[in-house]
Amino acid sequence: MASKVETPNRPARFPPWLRKRVPTGPEAAGVRRLLAGLGLATVCSGAHCPNLPECFARGTATFLILGRRCTRSCRFCAIEKAPPEPLREDEPQAVAEATARLGLRHVVITSVTRDDLPDGGARHFARTIRAVRSRLPQAVIEVLTPDFEGREESVAAVLDARPDIFNHNIETVPRLYPTVRPEAGYRRSLAVLAYAKKGEGAVPFSVGIFTKSGLMVGLGETDDEVRSAMRDLREVGCDILTIGQYLAPSPQHAPVARFVEPAEFAARESEARALGFAAVAAGPFVRSSYQAEDVFRSI
Amino acid sequence: MAEVEVKLPELGEDAGDEARVSFWYVAEGEEVEEGDDLVQMLTDKATFDVPSPARGKVVKLLAEEDQQVKVGQVLCRLRVED
Repeated sequence: MASKVETPNRPARFPPWLRKRVPTGPEAAGVRRLLAGLGLATVCSGAHCPNLPECFARGTATFLILGRRCTRSCRFCAIEKAPPEPLREDEPQAVAEATARLGLRHVVITSVTRDDLPDGGARHFARTIRAVRSRLPQAVIEVLTPDFEGREESVAAVLDARPDIFNHNIETVPRLYPTVRPEAGYRRSLAVLAYAKKGEGAVPFSVGIFTKSGLMVGLGETDDEVRSAMRDLREVGCDILTIGQYLAPSPQHAPVARFVEPAEFAARESEARALGFAAVAAGPFVRSSYQAEDVFRSI
Repeated sequence: MAEVEVKLPELGEDAGDEARVSFWYVAEGEEVEEGDDLVQMLTDKATFDVPSPARGKVVKLLAEEDQQVKVGQVLCRLRVED
């Protein structure tokens, strides 16, 4: 029997609404084997997502491309911050193979941030979208991208591959950016979403592409700050919104300021719908890719 | 009769990571149905109830309350009908 390990600064308990049941059955292990066999990473594992057992048991996963190491040090995120690896040229095909074997109807692809690459990895995103599209022509393809340091040509390169949903998370309210997301910019992230929605020229490339964004709550923001961020997202034409509880991946990450109650999530969801979002998911375990298919189908 | 090992599944932690035993719902010698909660685990992000994979009898608990357990480590053994 292993010895008892002291773990100071870790929560003694969570409120009852932050409780999950581990599914029984072999499905999750099958997904894990498939991903490992193709050498693919998921944000589910990289971010220590508490929904992983449930999502893998449903035969879904959110692919993490462009490597497993991130060039930024956001204080909410568990993904390793380290010098990045070279791009894996066959990754788009490997992702496409996994989506086909899993028989996905809704594919979510995200990435680490690659500020070291001239295009931020946009062309790799585009290649991955095209590879999945050629294997699964009927699937809905959702990308959750970094901000590409605000470069419009990178956003355009991703959109040119015609994902169905372009997601970029603003993550938190502007006041908390310096402590939570110091290498990003609130206005820059809004500008990425605005550009993705409007496109350029007479025929916007974003026609038929939904934009989506997400907020974490429980980091110390006020309700009014959340409402203000929601309005900012609507002003840039954002179609789909997710709001979830921030959960610290370790005692070294930004601490949880408070656990937001389910009724408060319901209130934000109603307010978001009143603002005109086409689809909204808000709840303690909501993440931007959690049950993304159901959220999209609710439109 | 066969013995089944109930291992700590991945709870969103990276492989090799750990979770803490909050408390056992069951005691040694207790009969359980498939799906009955066996143990409550705590990670940095949430509370997880681990259910029994089969109907049977709890033979041995192999982790104490408040103990850190690694993903893949055996939590308990069940005796189940073949």
